[in-house]
Amino acid sequence: MENIANIFVKSIFIDNMIFAYFLGMCSYLAVSKTVKTSFGLGVAVAFMLTITVPINYLIEKYLLCKGAMTWISPSFADVDLSFLTFIVFIAVVASMTQLVEMVIEKFSPSLYNSLGIFLPLIAVNCAILGGSLFMAERSYANVGEAAVFGFGSGIGWLLAIVSLAAIREKIKYSKIPKALDGLGIAFIIVGLMGLAFMGFMGIKL
Amino acid sequence: MEKNRKERIFLDPLIRNNPITVQILGICSALAVTVKLQSAVVMALSLTFVVALSNVIVSLLRKTIPNRIRIIVQLVVVAFLVIVVDQFLKAYVFDISKQLSVFVGLIITNCIVMGRLEAFAMSNSPRRSFIDGLANGLGYGFILIVVAFFRELLGSGTIWNYQVVPQAFYDAGYMNNGLMIMPPMALIAVGLIVWIQRARQQKKEEGK
Amino acid sequence: MDRNKNSYIFIYSIILVVVVAGALSLVAVLLQPKQAKNYEIEQKRNILSALKINVETKEVESTYAKIVTEIAVDDSGNEVEKEDALVLYKAQTDKGLKFVFPLSGKGLWGPIWGYLSLDEDLNTVYGAYFDHKSETSGLGAEIATEHFQSQFSGKKIFNADNQFVSVKTNKRGAQNENEVDAVSGATITSTSVSEMIESCLNKYLPYIEKSRR
Repeated sequence: MENIANIFVKSIFIDNMIFAYFLGMCSYLAVSKTVKTSFGLGVAVAFMLTITVPINYLIEKYLLCKGAMTWISPSFADVDLSFLTFIVFIAVVASMTQLVEMVIEKFSPSLYNSLGIFLPLIAVNCAILGGSLFMAERSYANVGEAAVFGFGSGIGWLLAIVSLAAIREKIKYSKIPKALDGLGIAFIIVGLMGLAFMGFMGIKL
Repeated sequence: MEKNRKERIFLDPLIRNNPITVQILGICSALAVTVKLQSAVVMALSLTFVVALSNVIVSLLRKTIPNRIRIIVQLVVVAFLVIVVDQFLKAYVFDISKQLSVFVGLIITNCIVMGRLEAFAMSNSPRRSFIDGLANGLGYGFILIVVAFFRELLGSGTIWNYQVVPQAFYDAGYMNNGLMIMPPMALIAVGLIVWIQRARQQKKEEGK
Repeated sequence: MDRNKNSYIFIYSIILVVVVAGALSLVAVLLQPKQAKNYEIEQKRNILSALKINVETKEVESTYAKIVTEIAVDDSGNEVEKEDALVLYKAQTDKGLKFVFPLSGKGLWGPIWGYLSLDEDLNTVYGAYFDHKSETSGLGAEIATEHFQSQFSGKKIFNADNQFVSVKTNKRGAQNENEVDAVSGATITSTSVSEMIESCLNKYLPYIEKSRR
């Protein structure tokens, strides 16, 4: 239990997808102009991470790892399909995204309209695939831990994008050198936020 | 005219329309690998390879790909190439592949790759697509290498793992800036590059 | 031909998947031996590193073959031929006979591992090598640095009364020859290193005590 809380806290604050690994930057910078849309995208990303990480965990553990398929037949002990990891993970991510897109389109057309072209792009959002790859890399003990990691990373991403959007909404009123305005200043703000988040380093429960 | 256009395809993405600083694409996986010049170069080469080849493949297939599963087909092509790259890195430059860890896999979702496939390869001939992919990969690599150069120089006092800051500096109280190794500094570095580049472009336009 | 017909899409995807899977399997099978070799070299390099021998990648194999022999021991400390017994390494270096013990444990965020080499008296530590998967960089990750590892040289795993105490990390700094300085700010990782060394050496204790006598 303590372990799970630890993973949760760590994935939100210390190993934050944005500030520590720059994952999902493209949509992060492009969508973070207003708080409302960024909240929508953040929720979508958090949701996708929570679903795809555990699914990919199970696939990895029971199909892809070396000797993973022994539960089907002991003769598969030497089968190592881990080179297929990337392609299987991305397939899971892409198909889940398609599903979520259809659901959102049906139940919340306004959200669907405001997110515009970014929904299909969730499939190629590095944060989602990155979540699964980090999960594989760090070899979590069970599916619960993997799910908590996915959820925590998603919340971390949500937190990051909403706070950046809030800052960018305010900064519109400031005087910024013309060449730095827009993208340049956004990069620097994210960098400074990252520095602030480094204060959480070493935190644990 | 035709030649001119080809040159544009190649030169544009290098500076003026650089995928990172202007199109804001592909920052995702890139910056985490810029602590050391060596890993940045390998990453840049891997990405260039993947963009160029996937551009060619998709361009060859463009007349046969069913529109409805277009994204998935593109993803499969990219994922295939990335796995090949990853396997080769593991086999031939093991040390670097350890450092790059998951970031090679993340080339799959690098927006540059998907962006070029959608925007260019789906509607252009294989040869043009190849040049376009190559140029975008190099444009991306260029920024990566610039950032990595400064981060390694200031953060570890080395370049390409060779000590360049003389020992005398350390004796005189100089210290490596540990902050440069931390992730946020990569973002700030890119921010500054964007600033410089835009400022120069503005000057050029005003001068016209 | 209608590219949006279901049957076309279906056949198209099947062909795509078959082609891709075939090509990937081919690549994987061709490169497998080379990759396995890399892992092996990596392991050997780490063992050599615990013996304070740093050589170029291409010399790892030959150096290793020259000085290191692998032996296996059972629970009561006898050398055996069995495959699944505890493995340790004997090395004939130019500084005399050394014993290298593999270590593995759990750090704060993920697995940590390493090798510890002992002098011929099986008491004095000769060298140590640690690595980790995901400790905090700048804090826990310091265990993988030369600075931390070099402290272990010359420490003892038995105390003055000849009791096995292992080598521990101490937050307040090394107090005696069974302790090294912990990494400041990384208490859990440091404690994990202590625990890893103690629990792993414990398994070899019968062998160590037998050989010391």
